Amino acid sequence: MTVASDIRQDAALVIIAPPQWAGELELREPPGPDATILMMDHQGGAIAFSGKVEYGQGIRSGFSLAIADELDLPLASVSVILGDTALVPYDRGTVGSLSTMTLGMQLRRAAAAARGALVTLAAEHWSVDESSLATSEGNVFKTSDTSQRVSYADLLEGKSLQLSIPEDTATKQAEDFVYMGKDAIRTDALARVTGQAKYSHDIVVDGMLHGKILRPPSYGARPQQIDTSGSERIPGFVMVVQEGDLVGVVCEREDAAEQAVAAIRVRWQEVQELPSDSDFPGLLKEKAKEMIVLRESGSTADGFAQADHVLEGSYFVPHVANAPMETSAAVASWDGGNLIVWSGDRSPFGVRDELANALNISQDNIRVIAPEVGGSFGTKGTVEVAQEAAVLAKAAGRPVRVVHSRAEEFMWGTVRPAAFYEIRSGFNNDGKIVAWEYTGYHTGDRPQRGQRGADTPYNTPNVRIAVADSDSPLRTGSYRSLGCASNHFAREIHMDEIAAALKMDPVEFRLLNLSHPRLSRVLQQTADRFGWNDKRDDSSIGIGVAIGYDAGSFVAECAEVRVQRRNVRVQRVVAGIDCGMVVNPEGVRNQMEGSIIMGMGTALRETVEFGSGRLLNSVFSKYRVPRINDAPQIEIVMSGDPTTQSTGAGEPGIVPIAAAIGNAVYDVTESPVRNLPIVPNLP
Amino acid sequence: MQLLVNGKTYEVDVDEETMLLSVLRHDLGLTGTKYGCGDGDCGACTVLVDGEAKNSCITPVDSAAGSEITTIEGLADGDNLHPVQEAFIEHTAFQCAFCTPGFIMSTVALLLRNPEPDDRQIRAALTGNICRCGTYVRIMEAAKSAAERSSQQGGK
Repeated sequence: MTVASDIRQDAALVIIAPPQWAGELELREPPGPDATILMMDHQGGAIAFSGKVEYGQGIRSGFSLAIADELDLPLASVSVILGDTALVPYDRGTVGSLSTMTLGMQLRRAAAAARGALVTLAAEHWSVDESSLATSEGNVFKTSDTSQRVSYADLLEGKSLQLSIPEDTATKQAEDFVYMGKDAIRTDALARVTGQAKYSHDIVVDGMLHGKILRPPSYGARPQQIDTSGSERIPGFVMVVQEGDLVGVVCEREDAAEQAVAAIRVRWQEVQELPSDSDFPGLLKEKAKEMIVLRESGSTADGFAQADHVLEGSYFVPHVANAPMETSAAVASWDGGNLIVWSGDRSPFGVRDELANALNISQDNIRVIAPEVGGSFGTKGTVEVAQEAAVLAKAAGRPVRVVHSRAEEFMWGTVRPAAFYEIRSGFNNDGKIVAWEYTGYHTGDRPQRGQRGADTPYNTPNVRIAVADSDSPLRTGSYRSLGCASNHFAREIHMDEIAAALKMDPVEFRLLNLSHPRLSRVLQQTADRFGWNDKRDDSSIGIGVAIGYDAGSFVAECAEVRVQRRNVRVQRVVAGIDCGMVVNPEGVRNQMEGSIIMGMGTALRETVEFGSGRLLNSVFSKYRVPRINDAPQIEIVMSGDPTTQSTGAGEPGIVPIAAAIGNAVYDVTESPVRNLPIVPNLP
Repeated sequence: MQLLVNGKTYEVDVDEETMLLSVLRHDLGLTGTKYGCGDGDCGACTVLVDGEAKNSCITPVDSAAGSEITTIEGLADGDNLHPVQEAFIEHTAFQCAFCTPGFIMSTVALLLRNPEPDDRQIRAALTGNICRCGTYVRIMEAAKSAAERSSQQGGK
């Protein structure tokens, strides 16, 4: 495949990753042209290359702002190529809210190196010292006479340079930013409001057919007998494909494929006696695997023996669905032994490598392109839909698109693991926690997913933190702030139970037990903005607070709720975040608001219902996600210091919200909220 | 069957029970209208049929024949965006934006029948649309500012 070199034909200056980044980018060593992370063309424009994908977080905009600032280029001269395995350096996938922190910094250094190279070219051009030159808006100029300037395009005329980023490349200070740190309109906004943005559902290639996969009615069910004669009578039917466990139909139209797959008559053998949602949380502990002790300091036995009070509580978080608005989809197109796949996935290289394995071809023969991704929140990290499209396309001898239905997305996409916690705390009359024993159980087949956020940020001399994996009948996978949001729910609810036992104010009680300056600061600022100490004289209104940490950032949230019978309405949320230096405040606010709304769903309504291996609520009319009439007033406080490194903003907002809402309900009902979704227990 | 979409007449050869969404996306190549659920639960497929918001995924195409159909692609007047589109940009009322065409069409339909809606009326008009990224606060603001603009411009 020659596409990668095509785009570089106009390259005047290629910036490649230095050898010391090879490990992080998983580059072949020594890094060659495949490690290009930034390129300048002969018109003086910059193109950045990244294996991240755009699934709503605004990463394309964030990277553009950073590059425009470091290179002193107008924003319109910067473009960003994302998630195309033929064009960008290897990337492990878009996970953990870490894009801005790691890759953002790498791109800034690449842009700074490019700017340095342009200054060097200008110094040679004028035979002057580099220190007498400066850059602005795509030009290098003399500081002694700003009318003497040369454009980047002129400097790069006829050039074909390659540069590995020098180790001493310095990036700009916050006070020198033109774009970063200010509210910016997203560079992809126009396409998004005019219907021009292309998602995997929208990819059309010449001669493309449409595929649908035969799905079992329950997990683990296997077809005993298949009769496809009904499918063949559907107008536009092309073929049935059976390969291993995969049975699919290929038709001229997508709706015909839906009808054709529905027309297959199958006798299924279903797995008997699968657990149902009502077997949880009991099953979490019953099916626990190896217990992993994450931290043991001091002696909890001594701590409990000395404590004035001991409190125990257990907490439950059910399975919840990611349910992105764009269901999983892929288009596969074969050209001889080469395969191109457009897949709405957050990890194009992961898909490429898994496809290579599954199809038994070399990864060099596969190009995976991630178009715009219509939401992920942790799901869309698996190869299935790409593989389905590839297998059907191979059999049909024509490109095939496979789009999962909403019901397929609910059942065969992944869900957030369920979790169960047992917490035992010892504390004294002065409000100090002296012993903390925390055991968490999370469903899932990947080891130790419950670790994230399990440790307590509060000062406690005697601590034991342990987690264990457990079985689930569902397909569990990643989710926004996986494990961490669930862990925080349990811990932060328990914190309010202690505060109540001591008759202490929940904010004061937390501050008393915190010594992390950033966490204390974000809590204090959030509580102040919320008006935590203001009088509220309506007994149906409650307020709650919770704090947390994730993705290198620190958060605090205060919620005001109105409780009427079993109905909880969240009226107002104030959320504080310290994510260090903020590249795009508008982007951070948008991510925080989205995290809060998503977390409200987990707090108040969402739970995947299942029994006998079947999902019982795989439609949006039964699986109730937040809608616009549920949205509270939200205010975001940014308490970070611009000299601190940028950290994640996409996930931390969800971490404290369920507990903040739960604690606000507790404030009304005086009965602690220990299970999600919240059902108020009014006296 | 003849369809009038975004001011253009199209001749389509489909079964009359084919859903409008499928015809728009497959036969007319208008992929700005999205499939989100196929049940009319999420609003991603919202289009205007004679100025009213309809879930095109549950609207049989023959019921829309003879009506004026407007999709997200037909909203702007050349390079001039519709005030609702402008307001969505101004408030960054999206993240992944997969739901955005549907929200914009529902907002346009609301303003056509009620150029000066209050907050409760906006919520009622948009509650059939789901934004899983949770940008509702922004969508509210965008809808309010679009309402202000269009009432100034005489209810376009």
